[in-house]
Amino acid sequence: MLVYLTKRLGLSAAVVAAVVLVLFSLLHLIPGDPATIALGPRATPEAIARYAEKMHLDEPIWVQFAIYVGNAVQGDLGLDVFSDRAVSAVIAERIGFTLALVVTAMGWAMLLGIPLGCLAAVRPNSWSDRIAGVLSVGTIAIPSFLVSIWALLVFAVELRWLPAIGAGEPGDPIDQLAHLVLPAFAVGLSWVGYLARMVRASMLEVMNEPFVRSARAFGLAPGTVVFGYALRVAILPTITLIGMGFGGLISSTVFAEIIFARPGLGKLIFDAVMARNFPVVQGAVLVATGLYVVVVLLSDILVAWLDPRVRESL
Amino acid sequence: MTKLTTTRRGFLASSVALGALGTLPGLGGAGAFAQTGSVLRLRLDGDNDVLDPGYMTGGTEIEAQKQCLPFLAEYSREGGSFGWKPTYFVETLVQRDPTHIDFTLAEGLTWSGGYGPVTAADVKFSYERMKESDWSGYFEAMERVDVTGERSGTIVLSKPFAPFVMITLCHGPGAILSEKAVTEAGGRFTTRFPAVCGPYTYETIPGQRAVFTANPDWTGPKPAFDRIEANVITEVKAAELAFEAGELDCTEVSADTLARYRADMPAGAEITVAGELQYMWMGMNTAHPKLQDVRVRRAIQHAVDVESILIGAYSGTTTKSNGIICPGLLGQREATKFYDYDPDEARALLAEAGASGLSLTLRTLNTQERLLAAQIIQANLGAVGIAVTVLPLDSGPFWEMGQESKGDTWKDLELWLMRFGTTPDPYEATSWFVSSQVGKWNWERWTSEEYDRLYEEGIAETDPDTRRAIYLRMQDIMEETGAYVWINHEPEAFVHTTAIDVVAAPSGELNYRRFGKA
Repeated sequence: MLVYLTKRLGLSAAVVAAVVLVLFSLLHLIPGDPATIALGPRATPEAIARYAEKMHLDEPIWVQFAIYVGNAVQGDLGLDVFSDRAVSAVIAERIGFTLALVVTAMGWAMLLGIPLGCLAAVRPNSWSDRIAGVLSVGTIAIPSFLVSIWALLVFAVELRWLPAIGAGEPGDPIDQLAHLVLPAFAVGLSWVGYLARMVRASMLEVMNEPFVRSARAFGLAPGTVVFGYALRVAILPTITLIGMGFGGLISSTVFAEIIFARPGLGKLIFDAVMARNFPVVQGAVLVATGLYVVVVLLSDILVAWLDPRVRESL
Repeated sequence: MTKLTTTRRGFLASSVALGALGTLPGLGGAGAFAQTGSVLRLRLDGDNDVLDPGYMTGGTEIEAQKQCLPFLAEYSREGGSFGWKPTYFVETLVQRDPTHIDFTLAEGLTWSGGYGPVTAADVKFSYERMKESDWSGYFEAMERVDVTGERSGTIVLSKPFAPFVMITLCHGPGAILSEKAVTEAGGRFTTRFPAVCGPYTYETIPGQRAVFTANPDWTGPKPAFDRIEANVITEVKAAELAFEAGELDCTEVSADTLARYRADMPAGAEITVAGELQYMWMGMNTAHPKLQDVRVRRAIQHAVDVESILIGAYSGTTTKSNGIICPGLLGQREATKFYDYDPDEARALLAEAGASGLSLTLRTLNTQERLLAAQIIQANLGAVGIAVTVLPLDSGPFWEMGQESKGDTWKDLELWLMRFGTTPDPYEATSWFVSSQVGKWNWERWTSEEYDRLYEEGIAETDPDTRRAIYLRMQDIMEETGAYVWINHEPEAFVHTTAIDVVAAPSGELNYRRFGKA
């Protein structure tokens, strides 16, 4: 397990390093003078000079990269172009909202997706399987931004059952939960389908295993066989999918956070891109990447812990 | 003692259970977010990062400054024209002569936090400080402020500058700060006012909202609302939906939504247009070999059907432009003087110039409206025999393409769509086309001694009729070069409930303290 952990951590570090390099290069490949782009066409020469000095734009590109990496490993992601606040502090204010959204979205996707997959697998090619298949593919096919807009139009604008914008009153958890419902629904919907398909495929394999046949032969109730025996084994590949899903959901939150005007990492990145606030873009994408890598790493470790065969595969 | 252990089986069961817990929101219901009473709910298009008037970006920070800081003057509107009037922070504000503006502050104004009364020394500190700031351009004409008493003083200009009150004192840079509080704060501030003097105090929750609460120390007129919640909503479409969901009382609207609302206004809603201080045109590079013949440029002026652009790209929500001076400002032109839409005249001029088989490139920002406008122009010019290639650009390369300091693209510029915003005075709009701006912002690259002279005269002239004549003539000169096809003035439009009266600066900044209950 220790060897597996070491290899897996090394791979994760390499992914983060590659993302830092690519992100830095892409931002510096954008045509136009970074200071003019960031401060706008009418910025005074003094403001442009101040910005260039602050961002080390007068240094060679490799020096800029070395400064950025050196600072980043110490937790210093630079300063917000406009407010002069530490990017790390800005990100810290927002990340909790994104995590709450992602966890809630994935939570209800699991609650619906896993039973749906089981239902489909219990009677393959039956009507229930076909309906589950249609539901699964349908939820995967609909883009989350469309779901966001429809949910907003129906439940907030027309019916006025749920709030349309914001994250709720600070210090009022009930209000904050109410503000999570629509965005979490929009973000998590497609993962209902992914999870259902994955669980169905795994369950179909497991349901023919000898231990499931034995359980049936002993006369155990169908529910006990499915949820008490088969699902425990079939869920292993689903854990990896859930780990990857968290990464996918972080990017899906961009749409939901914009449409529902929720503060979060996605909206922060969007706003920073629109304002050409490059230090915030770099910092927020780096943190989002780090989150993704950590979650995937944790899910892989969990799977390896649950299934010893996986430890040998890396 | 009980020992907690984790088994793989237990872990799997817990995982599923935890996932289920994540689906429990939905408990609050709609009642939790609907607030009524003396609360006004608005939209901010982004966080206020720097409230300091010297270093702000110049958007919604100005809205915050207007609620929390004293100003000497504020905008007024009579009919379709913009003007100014003294605020309730002053007893008198008089332009004694072209270079002296006398003021006396109202009695009883005090700063929050125990920083004492608002004094003329604070005005001197605030305005002379601006001369060293990022917004120093607005104070270029100001020499100093003389303090003549605790509450009285004189603003001394170094030269006559007619728009000073309108574009400086009424605007964000004209905010007055507490010298003592700002000095104690280190000379600059970002997201927290060191001291306020106005109807509201200010708090912010980054990424979520700015909250303005009634200032208990305020002795001036009581505002109509006790609390303002300005929600950070980046996308205008999201704000429109929030308005329709009843969660905002007022928000800016986009051009297509404005058209939709005008055709079918939501119940209990109405539209207020703050101003139209943006001017858009298609420019032509008079120095480019293909466009050096004024007859070719005139032909292009005649060939473009501006009405089609207004309908096709802007859903009929914008005002047709006849020059760079915007509606409501001194010197706005009622009509073009040297061209109208006449494709036959365009063909005749092209034939006369011997310009057959002409092909040109039209560069534009890659936004929906501009691309639609560019495509309509492409079709218009195609109809008279000019092949146009539309080149959409991101804002980085777009804003640099005519500037000589940013590369050589200016040499290849032929046609482009451009929009500038301006202040509620004609001087700024005309400033970008003087001879010294060639290679900077005068991308059309023409020069005129008469235009340059009139620009200086217009700044110094205080007689409205003479100023109007100056700016009308300056636009004639521009149009006569053949280098401009005027397109439109986009409005700053707000949809709001009929229960409130909206007051906004001509450039669109809302002034909550002057809002009313209908």
